[in-house]
Amino acid sequence: MFSCLGKRAVQDFRPEEILVEVGSEKSRIFTNLRRALPELPVTFVDQLHPYAEDPSVSNDPFGKGKRRLFLQRHRGDFLKKCPGSDGQVCCNYFVINFASNCPMECSYCYLQEYLADNPTLKVFSNVGDLISEADELLSRHRRFFFRIGTGEITDSLALDPYIGFSSEVIPFFAEQPNVLLELKTKSHRVENLLGLNPKGRVVVSWSMNPQKVIDRDEHLTASLEERLAAARRCQEAGYKLGFHFDPIVEYPGWEKDYQTMVEEIFAKVERRRIAWLSMGVLRNTPGLKRIMRKRFPSTQLLSGEQVLGPDGKMRYFQPLRVEMYRKMLRWIRAASPTVFVYLCMESKEVWEQVFGFAPSCEKELGNRLANLEV
Amino acid sequence: MIAQRILAYGSAREFHKETLDRWLQLSEADQETLLEFADRLRLGGNHFRDFLDWLEEIALRDGISLGEILKGETFLRVLSDPRLGRNDKLKCLKEELRRLRFPRLSQIEEGIRQKIRELKLKPQIQMTVPAGLEGGALTIQMRATSYEELRRLAAELHRALEEDSLKEIFVLLSGKESGAGLSA
Repeated sequence: MFSCLGKRAVQDFRPEEILVEVGSEKSRIFTNLRRALPELPVTFVDQLHPYAEDPSVSNDPFGKGKRRLFLQRHRGDFLKKCPGSDGQVCCNYFVINFASNCPMECSYCYLQEYLADNPTLKVFSNVGDLISEADELLSRHRRFFFRIGTGEITDSLALDPYIGFSSEVIPFFAEQPNVLLELKTKSHRVENLLGLNPKGRVVVSWSMNPQKVIDRDEHLTASLEERLAAARRCQEAGYKLGFHFDPIVEYPGWEKDYQTMVEEIFAKVERRRIAWLSMGVLRNTPGLKRIMRKRFPSTQLLSGEQVLGPDGKMRYFQPLRVEMYRKMLRWIRAASPTVFVYLCMESKEVWEQVFGFAPSCEKELGNRLANLEV
Repeated sequence: MIAQRILAYGSAREFHKETLDRWLQLSEADQETLLEFADRLRLGGNHFRDFLDWLEEIALRDGISLGEILKGETFLRVLSDPRLGRNDKLKCLKEELRRLRFPRLSQIEEGIRQKIRELKLKPQIQMTVPAGLEGGALTIQMRATSYEELRRLAAELHRALEEDSLKEIFVLLSGKESGAGLSA
């Protein structure tokens, strides 16, 4: 279905329409959006019309939803605890949802299932409320250290050239003594970040895969080379860096591709600027597989030796993925014996088999991540 | 017309529209082979979808047609075995398809079963591993009807602890980083 995605990159992102909830036109995000996309007509609405998300109106409502950008006020809390996965070791992370859905098209993306009934690309205009909420949390609990990310139900930077979200929030987080803000992305559009001073409080992190995986399954994202170049620019601008080897995909010859990629990362960025690395193998659910089969019928990701775990997620069977993690860890350790590495959504048994230990509780892992000195 | 025969088959067994659409998107040859297969086993919607999922995934991975898989030697042998009833055939074919769909997992599972057999344990001691090997644990169950029997079984288990086969089971469960690797 998506062979036409070819070489287009996210910098070509052009929504088919922009809808603005009445009242949101007074926001900075709206001003930024109009400046970035002046040629696109804007329709003002009281609310998103129910028909707009009716799955019956299109063969691919999820794909269509991504091409309609709706700017609205966020009602409810911006800050949430990352849900993790049942029974798996958790890293005690908080998430801020400043937008919902993503202009990129990764074939394995869990949002295809998670946002199936609510696929419109939404950006929230009331960033002031977001900052007030974060301020209240951080100032009320100064003795605790928080890690907060913005990349749970959207990419942290894919929309940044259009909405300028990073410029709105980084100056606030840079002044907080008890937080690390993580901007997690597959984009290379970091230009808005470069003129800001993160004061050691912002980690920009990339989801990393070999170019072969990017070409096959991470449509409309930046190339590996572009991601690395962007990381280098952020490093030079004073940001801490993170790299998430997630999802690690297993295919004939994966070892060579991933080892080369790990070596390339450490050759291009200063390892002392790396706050953390994480590893997680490809995960999906039976429901997501059904969607992938429809939207990306020729993706080889459907045919991996994945089995259903007790948390309802399918992963490569345990001995195979433990072997994959051990190999990745060996390549990472060869380049940097001390960089902090953790597993994402894995059980204590897998932690034990890979590292020889497992965090005793989520707070232990969260604290270790929070106390890293970079 | 093959499409009409498929629709008739699906409608008689109340197949979900999505399943029928997937079937009709296959090549005509695969549609035909699958219909013959479904007909012989009188597959209902759920069994059919399970077969279709795995067949498609194997075909995608190996670059072959569904028909080529279904005309494999084991499939033909099971289907034509007069000693097997419909349910036995279904069970054998699902096992064969699982072996094709998960070749390395099946190989390790078989390796573990082999190691357990090598231990020559009394039937009152059962060793099992979880489905899909998730959790990486070996479960050992002992069933005794008297204290003396329990002592004998515990001694038997103690003997097994010294066997290489038992140690190798844990190596298989925990993944090999080097040597005969599992990765493709």
